[in-house]
Amino acid sequence: MSTTATTAPIFPSFEQVVQGFAGQIGQLREMAPKPTLSDAVRVRRAIDTLIAETNADEAVWLESCIRCGQCTTACHYFQATGETKYAPMRKMNLYRKVYQREIGPFRWWYQLVTREVKLKDLEELQELVYDSCSECGRCTMVCPMGIDTASLVHHQRSALVAAELVPPELAALRMEQKHAGTVFGASADSLRKMVDTIREKAGVIIPLDKERAEIMVLSSAVDLVGNGNGLLATAKVMNHLGVDWTVCSDGFESANFGLLSGDMSLWKKQVDPIVAAAQRIGAKMLVIAECGHAYPALRWNPMLKSDDLPFEMMYMSEYLGRQAKAGKLKLTPLKGKITYHDPCKTGRRGGAFEEPRAVLKAMDADFVEMPANKEYNWCCGGGAGIFLLERATRLRDESFKIKMEQVNITGAETVVVSCASCRLNFEAGRVKNHWDRKVESLVELVAEHLIEDPRTVPINPAQGVSA
Amino acid sequence: MAKETTLGDLLRSQGVSRRAFLQFCTTTATMMALPAAVIPSMARALEQARRPSVIWLSFQECTGCTEALLRSHAPSIESLIFDFISLDYHHTLQAASGDAAEKAREQAMHEHAGEYLLLVDGSIPTLKGTSTIAGINNLDMLMEGAAGAAAILAVGTCAAYGGLPKAAPNPTGARSVEELITDKPIVNLPGCPPIPLAITGVIAHYLTMGALPEVDHLKRPLAFYGENVHDRCYRRPFYDRGLFAETFDDEGARKGWCLYKLGCKAPETYNACATIKWNQGVSFPIQSGHGCIGCSEPNFWDKGGIYDSVPMAQFGSGPKIAVAGAVGVVAGAGAALLARTKKHKKEAELHADE
Amino acid sequence: MSLLDFARGPAIHWALIILVAGTIWRLLGVLVLTRGADLSRPRDAFGNFKGYRTVFSRAWPSGEFTTATRYQTGMAYVFHIATLIVVIGIVPHIEFITGLTGASWPGLPNAAGVAFGIIALASLLALILRRIAKPAVYCSNWGDYFAWFVMAAPLVTGLMAFAHIGPRYETMLAIHILSVALLFAWFPFGKLMHSFWFIFSRAQSGVAYAHKGVRI
Repeated sequence: MSTTATTAPIFPSFEQVVQGFAGQIGQLREMAPKPTLSDAVRVRRAIDTLIAETNADEAVWLESCIRCGQCTTACHYFQATGETKYAPMRKMNLYRKVYQREIGPFRWWYQLVTREVKLKDLEELQELVYDSCSECGRCTMVCPMGIDTASLVHHQRSALVAAELVPPELAALRMEQKHAGTVFGASADSLRKMVDTIREKAGVIIPLDKERAEIMVLSSAVDLVGNGNGLLATAKVMNHLGVDWTVCSDGFESANFGLLSGDMSLWKKQVDPIVAAAQRIGAKMLVIAECGHAYPALRWNPMLKSDDLPFEMMYMSEYLGRQAKAGKLKLTPLKGKITYHDPCKTGRRGGAFEEPRAVLKAMDADFVEMPANKEYNWCCGGGAGIFLLERATRLRDESFKIKMEQVNITGAETVVVSCASCRLNFEAGRVKNHWDRKVESLVELVAEHLIEDPRTVPINPAQGVSA
Repeated sequence: MAKETTLGDLLRSQGVSRRAFLQFCTTTATMMALPAAVIPSMARALEQARRPSVIWLSFQECTGCTEALLRSHAPSIESLIFDFISLDYHHTLQAASGDAAEKAREQAMHEHAGEYLLLVDGSIPTLKGTSTIAGINNLDMLMEGAAGAAAILAVGTCAAYGGLPKAAPNPTGARSVEELITDKPIVNLPGCPPIPLAITGVIAHYLTMGALPEVDHLKRPLAFYGENVHDRCYRRPFYDRGLFAETFDDEGARKGWCLYKLGCKAPETYNACATIKWNQGVSFPIQSGHGCIGCSEPNFWDKGGIYDSVPMAQFGSGPKIAVAGAVGVVAGAGAALLARTKKHKKEAELHADE
Repeated sequence: MSLLDFARGPAIHWALIILVAGTIWRLLGVLVLTRGADLSRPRDAFGNFKGYRTVFSRAWPSGEFTTATRYQTGMAYVFHIATLIVVIGIVPHIEFITGLTGASWPGLPNAAGVAFGIIALASLLALILRRIAKPAVYCSNWGDYFAWFVMAAPLVTGLMAFAHIGPRYETMLAIHILSVALLFAWFPFGKLMHSFWFIFSRAQSGVAYAHKGVRI
């Protein structure tokens, strides 16, 4: 990664970060908690969770499937392996069975003719709803009934949380975030250290814990335990824009292993301090770091009544796009042909399509769309926590080939992503396949192409407070 | 009524030419789907046939069957057959009455025991005293008559299937012949009335071949009842083209279009009406502008309205369907409301666990 | 009681009762369940309404999926349209509906009815052959085959009754009506209910995605 090397040689490259992560992930498996409850209780809790999470929407979707098979080829995991068990429609079978037996209109009949769910069924479900579904929603785009399989899968993840059947890597991170409030050990201290490092080594000031600020920016564990380039780039851009911004040490983490594992209460628990911090500092805007699932975790959090909040929430690419459209980003032209990968969580399941493209346009880039783009984009194969699962390596690797093919068709030398998880997966795939393309983060790319106005000086924290 | 006269003698004495006789034989043979080679032998057999004894019992009937046979506008060969047979008992037609009539019946039964043909029209009430002849219950008279019969011809729908008297609520407990007699060969000649040629044709067949003709699963001679009226109807092309009379006085009705929508039962009716027709081939109901009412089919009277078309389902739909809908609403909404309660309970339980 | 009397009487009668009661039961049993609320602020204040267009737009798959779906979608359309024409177009069916509802309309000539019946049956065969040929794609269960059977049976028996193939007409007609009774009676319990669900299912997803500003 020569580009990062030139701007911040003191920080490790993203390729090194990926390698570092591989080691960390290995440790996670050993840290994973063991089931504590009896089998019967685990099954009961899983079923109860599904009952509690099933509304008419889910029921209609479960009722609607006609097994027409069209979702199969829309799913990257099925497409890559051709194995029938990865067909999206099969990923809702167990949920449907529970629904039919417990709350469906003919439940008394189904209780007679179907066998009750066993722990073994739930164990088998694990592979279907964690390893082989990134909740990307592509199957919904083809389904003639429009079934939102991704959300059905998510409810089943919740059920498996209740049944203590979360895959070890996610289980370990969930426990860490639940009990220590950190991810990969990225605590408030790690943040402070990183802020100091960036100020010392790169000379870029990051306003940490300002009492009042217009804009609150989130970071992510990948950045803090990894290379810090994301935070550095974010700081450069925010300073370039000359806005009143801050990072809060009591609410900086974008990653939400409540959402990823399916633990709804942890999801909420992680969101609350961020919202509280934003309200405390009087922020008008919350900018979410390039961490795909943080967008649905915050912006599209169904449990959070965001109309009542005094601030707006935006994904990094969204925020950059708005600034670019408003002409506030002064950028040097980007050389070479590029393409953009829509992360599932911000694209199809988030709606931030135009903004990242507007940023690339502002860089005067030779931009080419992939054959399947925006709503129809192929998932990279590593979303929804799958990048962390060792067991899913084959599925991830095989499905990544679809993504490579998509990029290859464009002839672009560089593929821009705006999601740490996608980027990790792209990077791992690039190395594994000796792929001759570059993978760039949107915010880092912007940071590298800023035209620094000599008159603009970084706002110092004190000024920010008084403003 | 000289008993030893042959049919040939009789016909000649009535002035029927040999050509006309052979024509009758040909028609009969053709109608009964017998090979052409049979015609000469049929004529020979008929000419030389001795007068068989026939006892005609009339029970709960309207005499329509007899009328149809006899009230043709000119004397027909069919009616002559009846002149030929030794109709030893027929309370409508015979001159004798009272004791004399009953004596004649008893005598015929006695003299021709095991040989006579028993023709029955009308259904038989099983409720005692509902219908009696000379003080004898119909059922008893049938049993008595059937005991010595060689074969039984159930003439008309009432005898064959119970007909109108058996229609719901069947106040007399009416039964058809075949429901009561199981140990004799029976041929059903349904129709209200049956086509006269069907009656004479079966008798002619019996006289010439010495056996009853081939019948369908409802014991009807295939020769007359083997074909669907709809399939032979001259209005069939209009059905195929989708041209229907919608009312009895619309343009379609005047143009002679298909009467299917006006309740014509031809598609489910097996009879020779469309081919032999009535009154020497002059017409038949559909030709005269009214749909077939399916009178040669069992229980035709109870199969819904005469003007309800064939595919119409037979039930008073509205209220029952509405009740079904109401049941659905209650069950569905009830199931969902119970599920809601269950869901909220589970939510509370899970919340308490944390 | 003859078979035809049974078919036209109690069989179709009870089938209709089951159809009506079962369909309403299942629809309400699902639709009266709690509605989940998405509290997050929609991307556009009134954008969610745009989601309802998915009910119509999903009538044909996006160009992105043409290759994978055209055979099945095409065949499914041929089947649905031909079957609809047969159901509401031929005179005996209109008479049946008239007998039930009082409504009436002109019918098609028999030749057209037969042609559409054959087209419907052929497309149904084309669909089941593909289902059998690609087990990995379809993950079929017995319900899929049974739904196919109850749908194919009226088409086959109807054509047979019309063509006077097999048993006598009134028997064949009775079998045809019985097969329809089976279809009616099974309708509320199997996947045939998608004829109602598709509206709700598409609308829900359309609205859920429109909430985020995504047009699906």
